[in-house]
Amino acid sequence: MEDYIVEMRHITKRFPGIIANDDVTIQVKRGEVYALLGENGAGKSTLMSMLFGMYEPDMGEILINGEPVKFRSSNDATAHSIGMVHQHFKLVDNYTVAENIVLGVEPMKRTLGIFPSVDLKTANREIAELSKTYGLEVNPTDVIENIPVSVRQRVEILKMLYRKAEILIFDEPTAVLTPQEIEFLLKIIDGLRKSGKTIILITHKIEEIKKIADRCAILYRGRLVKVLDVQSTSSQDMANMMVGREVDFNPTKTPANYRGDVLEVSHLTVQNANKFDVVKDVSFKIRSGEVFAVAGVSGNGQGELADAVSGLMKVYSGSIKLCGQDVTNDSIRQRLESGISYIPEDRQGVGVFLDFTLGDNLAIRKYYKQPFSQGGILHFSEFENYADKLIDRYDIRCGQGRKTSLRSMSGGNQQKAIVAREIEEHAKLIIFVQPTRGLDIGAIENIHKQILAERDRGAAILLISLELDEIMELADTIGVIYNGQMMKIADASTLTSLDVGRYMMGVKEA
Amino acid sequence: MDKVFIDGLSFAAPLFIMAMGAIYSEKSGITNLAVEGFQGFGAFVGALTAILLMPVLGDGSQAVIYIAMLAAFVGGGIYACLHALLCIKFRANQVISGVVINILAVALTTFLTSTINKSLNGDASNKFVLGVFNRYTIPGLSQIPVIGALFRNMYPFEFIMIVVAIVAWYLMYRTRFGMRMRACGENPQAVDAAGGNVDRTRFISVMISGALSGVGGICFAYSISANFSPSIYMGYGYLAIAAMIFGNWNILPTGAVCLFFGLAKAGGYQLCLSMGLPSNYSDLFMMLPYVLTLILLVFFSKRNHPPKAAGEPYDKGKR
Repeated sequence: MEDYIVEMRHITKRFPGIIANDDVTIQVKRGEVYALLGENGAGKSTLMSMLFGMYEPDMGEILINGEPVKFRSSNDATAHSIGMVHQHFKLVDNYTVAENIVLGVEPMKRTLGIFPSVDLKTANREIAELSKTYGLEVNPTDVIENIPVSVRQRVEILKMLYRKAEILIFDEPTAVLTPQEIEFLLKIIDGLRKSGKTIILITHKIEEIKKIADRCAILYRGRLVKVLDVQSTSSQDMANMMVGREVDFNPTKTPANYRGDVLEVSHLTVQNANKFDVVKDVSFKIRSGEVFAVAGVSGNGQGELADAVSGLMKVYSGSIKLCGQDVTNDSIRQRLESGISYIPEDRQGVGVFLDFTLGDNLAIRKYYKQPFSQGGILHFSEFENYADKLIDRYDIRCGQGRKTSLRSMSGGNQQKAIVAREIEEHAKLIIFVQPTRGLDIGAIENIHKQILAERDRGAAILLISLELDEIMELADTIGVIYNGQMMKIADASTLTSLDVGRYMMGVKEA
Repeated sequence: MDKVFIDGLSFAAPLFIMAMGAIYSEKSGITNLAVEGFQGFGAFVGALTAILLMPVLGDGSQAVIYIAMLAAFVGGGIYACLHALLCIKFRANQVISGVVINILAVALTTFLTSTINKSLNGDASNKFVLGVFNRYTIPGLSQIPVIGALFRNMYPFEFIMIVVAIVAWYLMYRTRFGMRMRACGENPQAVDAAGGNVDRTRFISVMISGALSGVGGICFAYSISANFSPSIYMGYGYLAIAAMIFGNWNILPTGAVCLFFGLAKAGGYQLCLSMGLPSNYSDLFMMLPYVLTLILLVFFSKRNHPPKAAGEPYDKGKR
C-alpha cells in the first residue's frame, strides 16, 4: 500500500452547461511534485478548488492521509494543512507583506497588559525568519502595491508556509513571471519538496513539468486521460495527450513576400502620465506581408509603443503614417477605420466587454455601420448571423453559443473571440500585443497560424511579445527595444536568439 | 469669538461620531449613504426612551440623557441591520438601499412620534420635547487664550465622543477585527481565502456604523434642537459623509474636517449677527458648510482613495 497524502476518488463536478470534472481520480504521494496538465478549461483549477474547499464535489470523495474529509470552506482545507497559491493573488494592496500573511491567523498581544491587539512586531520577525528559511526574500514591512508581481507571489507562498501547510497547491504560478523568475520559482519549489512538502502544480507548460515534476496527470475536457511518470515520457507525447490530437510545434512558414510600406513610425516619443519618456525617438517601417516583432524585457516601452500606434496613448512628438497618410493625431475610431486592428495585452480590460454576450462582443467594431445599424436602430438578426458565422469559422468554444457572457469563457476562447473579431476587419495593419500570454499549447498554435495566415494575405503585422521563442518563430524582422529605445532592427534570419537576448539587456553591439 | 468655538465644537462632535460611523461601514466595503436615516432613527429611539423615563426619574434628571444615548446607540445599530441585510444578504445596490433607508426613517419616525404622542397625552404632535444637556467648563484649560474657549461651556457628550473616537480608532487599526474589516473593504477575496468571514465582518461593521450614527443623532437632539422632531433630518448625515470623504476615510483627518465644518457653521451664524442682518439672513449663512463642501470637493476628489471594494456585493464565485 502506497503512502498517499491526497486522494481524490471519482470526482464529478457540474456547472450549468458543462461538466467541469467527470469521474476524475488522482492520488498524490507524500513529498512529490505532482503536476496537473491540461488546456485552459480542462478542469484543473476546478479540481483543485474542490481540494481547497472552495467548491464541494457533486460526486466522489476526498481523502487526506487516508481519512475521508468533507470541506465546506477553505478554512477546513487549511485546517488539514492544505494551502493554495491562486492564479489571481488574494492580497490586500494597501497592507504590508506581513499584514497580508498573518491576515486570518493574526498573532495577538496585550497592549498595556489589557487591550488585545494584533502583534505586528512578532509577525514581522516571524516572517523574516520564515523567508530566510525557505530562501523567499521579502521585506515584511513593504506595502503590496509597491512590490513587483514576483515578490507578491512569494508573499502568497509564505502565506501558506506561515499556516504550516504541508500540501501546497500552485495554480498556474508561472503565468505572470519572466523567464528568470520562473527559474527562481522552480528552485523554490524544488527546495520545498526537499523539506518534505507535497506540491501539486497546475500548469499547461510542459517544459516546467519536465524540469520539476515527478508525476503528471493529464486532463482533457474534464476527464482524466492518464497519469504518467514524467521522466519516461516525451514532451511531444504529453502535448498530444493534453490537446487531444497531434500538435505541430513548428508551423511551416512560407518565405516572406513584401509589398509596399504600410506603417511608418518616425522619431516617435511617448510620455507616460508622469511626463516621463517611455518611448524615445523610435523609428521603423513595416511592409505589407511582413511580421515585425518587437522583442524586449517587460516594461521597456513596448506596450506604450503599441498603445501610441493604436491611439490609446497620445504621441508626444514624431509621426505615425499608415499607407502614406499621417494618422498621428487621429482618434481611435479614425485609425480603426483607416485600417488598423488591435489585439491588446490586457484582453479583459481593453479587448472585450466581459459582461456582454459573445455575439455583442464580436460585433462591437461594426455595430454602428450598415447592416448592423440603420438610422441608429440596431438590427439584432445581423448581430446573430455574424456571431454564428465567426464562432463557427474560428472554432470559439462557448457553453451557450453567441449568448454566452465573455466572463464565463476560458482565457483562450476569449482571445480567440478577439482575434476573430479583429481579423475579420481585413485590416492593413494588425497589432498583436502578447497574443498568447496565459494560453495553452493548442490555443497558441492556433493563434500563431492565424498570424502567419494574415501576413500571407498581405497584412502588416506588428507583434509585441515577451516570449523570445515566439518572436524567433514568427518574425520576419526583429526590433529590440530597451529602455524605450530601439536598440537594433534587423532581418530575423541574421539574428540568433542569443543576440536578441543581449540587445534586450541593453548591449549596444553584440 | 468664544461663541464660535463653543458652538462649533458642540456641532462638530456629533458630526464626527456620525462620520466615524460612515467610515466603519465603508471601510468594510459597504457604501453608506444611510447615515442620515441611522442618526434619525437612533435619535428617535433615544428620545422615546427619554420621554418614557422622564416621568419616572424626573424631568431635569441628567441620568435620562445618558440612558437615552445608550438607547440611541442600540436603536441605530438595530436599524442598521436593515441596510446590512439588504446589502449583504440580498446583495441589493448599496446606494439605493441607503437612500431607501433614509426615506423610510423619516416616514417611520414621524408617524411613530405622532402616534405615540397621541396615545400618551392625546396630542398628535410630531415632537418629543427633551431639554438640553447641562454644560461644563474645565478649570485651568479654559483659561488658555483663544483656544481656551474650546473648553468652556462644554456639553458632556463632547468628552464621550473623544473617548468613543479613541476606542473606534483602536478597534479599527489595532485589533484583529479591524484588520479584517479594512481588508474586506479592499479585497474581500483575500479575507475569504485567509479564513475570515466577509459577510459577518461587514454585517458587524454596518451595525457599528448605525450605532455610532444613532449616538450622533441623539446628541443633536439634546443640544441644537432640544427636542426630537422630523427636523432632525437636516442633512447632517450627508455632511458627515462629506467629512468622511474629505478625511480620506481616515479617522483623524475626518475629525479635523468635522471641526472645520463646525467652526464654519458657528462662524457664519456669528458673522450674520455681528453684521446686524435680519434673522432670516442667518439661513443664508447656514449654507456655509455646504458651500464649503462644494468647494472642497473640487480640490479633494482627485487625491482620494476610497476603499476599493466599497459598493460591490461580495460574490464568492466571481474571479
